[in-house]
Amino acid sequence: MAYSQQAEEEFAELQKLSNEYEPEVTGPLVGQREPSTAITTEYASADPVFRAKTEALPQKYSHYRTTRGDGRCGWRAIGFGYFETLIHLGDSNKFLEEETRLRSLSNVLNAAGFDSLLYEDFADEAFDLLRKVANALPAGNADVILHEAFNDEDLQNYIITYLKTLTSAWMKTRPSEYAPWLLGQTVDQYCDHHVMPIGSEIDNVSLSALKDVLLSSAGIALEVLYLDRTEGGEVNMHRFDPVNPQGGLTIGTIRLLYRPGHYDILYKAEDLPPAIAAIPTYLQYSSHTHNEPVYDLGVSDFMTAIPGMSYANPHQGWMSNSSYGPDLFGSSAPVQQCAPPVSTPAPPPQPQIQPQPVYLPATPTHLVAPPSQMPQQMAIRTASHATLAHPAFQPGGPFRSSAWELEDGFGQLSSSMPFQTSIFRESHFNTAHFLNPDFQPKEWRPDDDYVTTSSKSSRHRNSG
Amino acid sequence: MAGNKRIMKELAEVRTNPPPGCTVTLADENDMGTWDAVMDGPPDSPYTGGHYKIQITLPKEYPFKPPQLSFKTKIYHPNVSNDDRGAMCLGMLRPDEWKPPNKIADVLRLVRSVLAAPQPDDAVEQGIADQFKNDRKSFDKVAKEWVGRYAK
Repeated sequence: MAYSQQAEEEFAELQKLSNEYEPEVTGPLVGQREPSTAITTEYASADPVFRAKTEALPQKYSHYRTTRGDGRCGWRAIGFGYFETLIHLGDSNKFLEEETRLRSLSNVLNAAGFDSLLYEDFADEAFDLLRKVANALPAGNADVILHEAFNDEDLQNYIITYLKTLTSAWMKTRPSEYAPWLLGQTVDQYCDHHVMPIGSEIDNVSLSALKDVLLSSAGIALEVLYLDRTEGGEVNMHRFDPVNPQGGLTIGTIRLLYRPGHYDILYKAEDLPPAIAAIPTYLQYSSHTHNEPVYDLGVSDFMTAIPGMSYANPHQGWMSNSSYGPDLFGSSAPVQQCAPPVSTPAPPPQPQIQPQPVYLPATPTHLVAPPSQMPQQMAIRTASHATLAHPAFQPGGPFRSSAWELEDGFGQLSSSMPFQTSIFRESHFNTAHFLNPDFQPKEWRPDDDYVTTSSKSSRHRNSG
Repeated sequence: MAGNKRIMKELAEVRTNPPPGCTVTLADENDMGTWDAVMDGPPDSPYTGGHYKIQITLPKEYPFKPPQLSFKTKIYHPNVSNDDRGAMCLGMLRPDEWKPPNKIADVLRLVRSVLAAPQPDDAVEQGIADQFKNDRKSFDKVAKEWVGRYAK
């Protein structure tokens, strides 16, 4: 008796410890966007099914973003994706439209029995963030603000709670749509025990309801990609298309990577923010590409060579080694923040960016179009430029690598001396050409003619 | 930040419209985080006639973490720990079951219903719970004694 009593107490103690145990969660609440090849690496030594699936993943989904696995990652990922899709659309009117729509849902919240005195706190934080992000659109740092907001634990608690409240209210006011999926629970029970509690993770039913209330009417599609041990060489995709009663367009897609128990965010190349397009002139393109290896001479570079198409202070973009000039390019700084090294898209060069001087007369109108009306093709091209402009070349990806990639310093090769190759040495791209706006005649230096061992080596480097 | 706003709203509501059998004051007018509630023992329970002082501590993450309850008046009850803390933690008060839209007034209603109907299967005091289940009479007797001894 005494023994079993003791054992029971011990068991109760252990049970208590186990109930109170919270696995230590690390990492940011929402991480930075990273190339999805990192997932491939993560599973490199896993079993063949995972390996095959993760090897195929980066071909379709170039980037991903982690969310902290603290039991609310699904809610967090969709919330973040919602804001990010709106940013990607780049239309501040849409933010206003969304705020109005969500405010009008207070009828639904009231009908479901939520106390406006309480939920308005949660809702207000979400509306504030919509406004803050919309206001940051012109400056191009909306995604930075969003990322900061979602890493503020307090703030994202409010937003997640708002999403949960919306989801519950939506389900409670449409019980017949959701009850069949709830296996013996009523919608009220389900919401009380599996949606509203702080620790409740999203599941298929609440995911579907959140999609219905938050995403569909906004015209956002949702794809969930299941990475599990099932047959097949690719992740299984389940797509929820927006069923929009107004018959509106799909403005974007949130893609979630689901690994049992955890959601992360996935991106296709087309989902990546039009980082550069935030500033609606073609001038930034060349400012990004000016110090690139010759192969990167895209359309925009040729454009600036057209008489009358040059910008006010061209030499800064063309020939100086500083990335941005003092005033004219000051506004580009946020753009750089938008695309930190890890988050720069790394798709392979698209055929569109091949130099095509023939089409020049038509191109400028495309390039100066405001970003919100940019065709998809434009966005891709922009992304590619940003990629190539970045010296930190990411090996891997869907295309076979070039042998040059293996060389040390690939990508930085010609960055110090642009347009010094045999093709460009005689052109006006060279500062030594009299037509160059930054014309600087070549000076005769005795060292060049009377080669000493030390100067010889430096010359070699320059001409390389 | 906004948590404080929420607490002020709740306090105003509880003061104008307190849950049955409860009065709520702030322990310190400058500290919104600690509430003192006095709850009358529910009628038709062994606790009737008793007045229980309950301290409610709101974590700084409130309303995203549940408030913590501590009976300052000793009570013989399977769901209240029989120590200095007098803690009660069940149902909606568990951190993973807590819902941010829950109000402190809801918590007080829950406490009162648990006083009226103890939940022996969710007990912190297993001995008292066993007695409640198996020997209701002596449980009631001790509980009433404690009311007279501590809660008048």
